[in-house]
Amino acid sequence: MTWAAWRLQRTETLIAAAILALLVVILVPTGIEMANAFHHDGLSACLGQVTSGSCDEAVHSFTDRFHRVGGLVDWFTLVPGLLGVLLAAPFVLDLEHGTYRLAWTQSITRRRWLAGKLGLAVACALAAAFSLILLVTWWRAPLVRIDGRMDNGVFDSEGIVVLGYTLFGLGLGAAVGAVWRRAVPALIVGFVGYLVSRIFVDVWLRQRLLSPLKATWKFDAPSPSGLRHAWVLQEGPSDRFGHFVQPKVGACVRAAKGGARLLDPGCLSHKAGFSMHAVYHPASRFWALQGIETAIFGAVAVGLIGFAAWWTHERTG
Amino acid sequence: MIEFHLDAHSGVPTYLQLVQQVRQAVRLGILRPGDQLPTVKEVVGSLAINPNTVLKAYRELDRERLVEGRRGVGTFVASAPPAPPPDGIKELRTALQRWIERARTAGLEDESIAALVADTLRPPVVSRVA
Amino acid sequence: MNGDIALRADGLGKRYGSKWALRDCTLEIPLGSVTALVGPNGAGKTTLLQLAVGLSTPTQGEIRVLGGSPRHDASGILPRVGFVAQEHPLYRGLTVDETLKLGRKLNPSWDDGVARERIERLALPGTQKVGKLSGGQQAQVALTLALAKRPELLLLDEPVASLDPLARREFLQSVMEVVAETGTTVVLSSHIVADLERACDHLVILNQAQTQLIGPIDEILASHRLLTGPRTDPATVARVHDVVRESHTERQTTLLVRANGHVYDSCWQLHEVDLEEVVLAYLGQRSITTRSFERRREAVTA
Repeated sequence: MTWAAWRLQRTETLIAAAILALLVVILVPTGIEMANAFHHDGLSACLGQVTSGSCDEAVHSFTDRFHRVGGLVDWFTLVPGLLGVLLAAPFVLDLEHGTYRLAWTQSITRRRWLAGKLGLAVACALAAAFSLILLVTWWRAPLVRIDGRMDNGVFDSEGIVVLGYTLFGLGLGAAVGAVWRRAVPALIVGFVGYLVSRIFVDVWLRQRLLSPLKATWKFDAPSPSGLRHAWVLQEGPSDRFGHFVQPKVGACVRAAKGGARLLDPGCLSHKAGFSMHAVYHPASRFWALQGIETAIFGAVAVGLIGFAAWWTHERTG
Repeated sequence: MIEFHLDAHSGVPTYLQLVQQVRQAVRLGILRPGDQLPTVKEVVGSLAINPNTVLKAYRELDRERLVEGRRGVGTFVASAPPAPPPDGIKELRTALQRWIERARTAGLEDESIAALVADTLRPPVVSRVA
Repeated sequence: MNGDIALRADGLGKRYGSKWALRDCTLEIPLGSVTALVGPNGAGKTTLLQLAVGLSTPTQGEIRVLGGSPRHDASGILPRVGFVAQEHPLYRGLTVDETLKLGRKLNPSWDDGVARERIERLALPGTQKVGKLSGGQQAQVALTLALAKRPELLLLDEPVASLDPLARREFLQSVMEVVAETGTTVVLSSHIVADLERACDHLVILNQAQTQLIGPIDEILASHRLLTGPRTDPATVARVHDVVRESHTERQTTLLVRANGHVYDSCWQLHEVDLEEVVLAYLGQRSITTRSFERRREAVTA
């Protein structure tokens, strides 16, 4: 049974491997370059010191240099869905082409067959996801040192969520395919479903998984340490009590050299009574949020895969 | 070795066609005493017919003493010549000719006569059981 | 426990949605027989075979194969039943050798010698992808998969429907060789009757989801006659015999009857019929009633 499941998944496994290889080719050279630059430019040493602002120039030039590749890597958040849906293909094709009528009339029960096929797909999905995590996490390490990993575009390729995403893609592909029984449209619908769900979670759900923290501080004071590398949901001028306000700043505008207009922070804080307020999830919550989101996607994935197996087992013939 | 062929629309039962082809082959010397007939598997594999049909044919040939079956080895053309036709044939033929005259006088066409004979030779199963 | 019956259906029915694909099917297929399952497309042949092999479950009634239930005793029954589904599905991306390996891995009773010998004798290229083979070759590969597990019962769903005449003949030759060698019970469905007459000894006619005629072929042919004669009302004949089909021209009446005893009325000319004519006559009926030789026998001796 294992040989059979492997052999019938061979093409899809090779495609997944090719995709991962392509990503390696894209990321490894720049990753090495970034890691070297990070140490060479003294950034690692510089960031190690607590004084903020001293690194700004070095950081700027570093991020400028690598921000284009960084933008490309943000698109990699589609890859788990792609891999998941791809690995659902052998299962759906078996139904579309009617070859299940061959597989289920050898000597093994259909339960064994489904367990073997879907089990192997899950194992490969996890392996692919794990490789993807290793690759991207390694690549992004210097940038994470600079900016943390809580921001939306970064969070969803760090940690373990990619495992959940890939299984979810697999589950969607399998579930839609089990009912529709036509591979190409089902997998496309599965992938679209993956996109929609990911957008929903990224934009709405993730921030609500835990109650965000709030902080208020004086306008000219440095931002609290809790905000370092945090995921800031809202930040802006507020009153002493933390209610956001629209500041009338006209009185505090000073003319500066060259005709530029500057806001005098001291004036804002004392004269107009401004503070800053932020709603955020601190960096310390990284693993908590990762765990919750992975659990959600993972549980839904397990439900979808179970549904696909049950539907096929019961409703075929 | 003899190769069988089958005329599916001749109206002659398959087993009988095989029997007739063996008889013909022996008559023409294509099959000589001691020659082995094709195995059931071989006949079935070339004609795609039911093995029971072949068995029936070989049994009939065995009954006529044209062939003999040797267990575990195969079916062979008999070394002794087949038994001569029984003596009563001549009388039967004469009686048949007289009966045919009567049937024709009664108004039966030749085809009706042949159909009547064929039908009487193979009565429906139900009457046998009843 | 199952005696000498390979397949037994009892009031078997299968419904998809509101449509019955098979209903009130009761039949027994004896061990060692080669049964022709004939009927038009959509008559229920595939449904019956799929129920027999556990690919679907009955809505009504029961089916028992080699003494067990195909769905509930699957691990005991499946290794003893060889099945080739309609259009002989195969994994097109696998080579012939890999397909046999699949059979070997999935069947504990696999006899690799049988498989290899067949493939060599049929000169099928081992390293060729199955998708690139001709229809006849694919059918032979599918048959090899079913035969190499040495089944006691072989179920073939329209195995030769899409094959050219030569491939059809070769396929049937293969099947009959296996029957000669091992006495395997075979149920072969087709809507082409001519192939089956020479190979099969039992017949099941299915039409519009119901069985119309069941019984041994030689008895069927012995008891059915074509009657032709001057134009007349078949009522007198119908009192004694079973009129399966009647047709009239201005001057002539033709009846296909199942005779209960001899036909004595001299106004009729009697002709024997071949299997195809019998099947066509039954399929052409407007109302479907089941005729089974087993049942009739019981009625007469009772």
